[in-house]
Amino acid sequence: METALTSALGAAAQNITAEEFEAIVRRHQRRVHRFLLMLLRDAEEADNLTQECFLRAYQNLGSFRGESSLESWLLRIATNLARDHARSRKVSFWKRLLGLDGDQSSGGAELLPSGQASPERVLLARENVRAVWEVTSQLSQQQRAVFLLRFVEEMELHEIASAMGLQVGSVKTHLFRAVQTVRSKLRDLR
Amino acid sequence: MNSNENSHDPLVERVLVSFDLAAEHHISNCPPCQAERERVEDALRQFGTANREYAQRPERFWEEQASQIRRACRQSEKQSRITATLVPSVVVLLLAAFGILGHLPATRPAAISQPAAQVDQDHELLIEVERVMQTDTPVALEPATLVVDQRNSGVPLSSRSDRKETHTNEN
Repeated sequence: METALTSALGAAAQNITAEEFEAIVRRHQRRVHRFLLMLLRDAEEADNLTQECFLRAYQNLGSFRGESSLESWLLRIATNLARDHARSRKVSFWKRLLGLDGDQSSGGAELLPSGQASPERVLLARENVRAVWEVTSQLSQQQRAVFLLRFVEEMELHEIASAMGLQVGSVKTHLFRAVQTVRSKLRDLR
Repeated sequence: MNSNENSHDPLVERVLVSFDLAAEHHISNCPPCQAERERVEDALRQFGTANREYAQRPERFWEEQASQIRRACRQSEKQSRITATLVPSVVVLLLAAFGILGHLPATRPAAISQPAAQVDQDHELLIEVERVMQTDTPVALEPATLVVDQRNSGVPLSSRSDRKETHTNEN
């Protein structure tokens, strides 16, 4: 997904023009926003932090050395921002995690599935999505981030490791535990 | 499945997390594990699809967001330019201020000592007045040297007697 522009960034990042940076924003804003939305479960905060993420990237382009992909670098900034945000609003964050603040967000369970699926299938799919959504609420923020990058963003393990600043082994461990919890939750639904 | 669930459990997770040849081999030969894998895999796929759809926004939203980012970047650039201009100026001003302040210690004690000297003079005058008041000897009979001194200092002899009079009146 890297363009010539973003892959060639590295050394020349500080010389990037406003137009070139805007092209980067256009290319990556959807993923960054979606990731933050899933992580924070707050549309407004996700929007704010997406803007903040790109602003930080713009201000720190000089520190981007091209060792990871630009997208990983952006997602790393987004993860750090989400973590700081969660710390600064710890109480409401935990409230949100525990579903005590009235946030009825179900991770799009109501959207699924489309097409000509039978009512039973639609119901089952919704149950599944809701169950997985509930599980992700109980994961630590880092585990949740890893889980979302894997199963929503469909990123490779090494890309997740790069975005999260983790070893691939740690990513696997986080995923293993998360999937184990999901499985257990799905088993309870039966 | 129940009897095998515990022993086979980790294999399903392993294949879902990353490619694992041994786990893949087992699952392809174990129908309950295969069913379980499909079930979890389906749920995860549905979860991913639902979230991607949930996060979709109209094109206008992305344009607005991009333009807000552009504005924020411009603003930040402007601020850093202002900072880059202001910081050296402020440093120069501060250095100049410190330079000026550096000279103050020499002038300050003088400014402070001046009132002190004034206080001393007043005190001496009061002591002198006191001394004169306590002496019954008329001014004219004071030692000639003292009279000469007073003349030299420009204080008229009469003023001393005037002062004495004033003091007496006050009493």
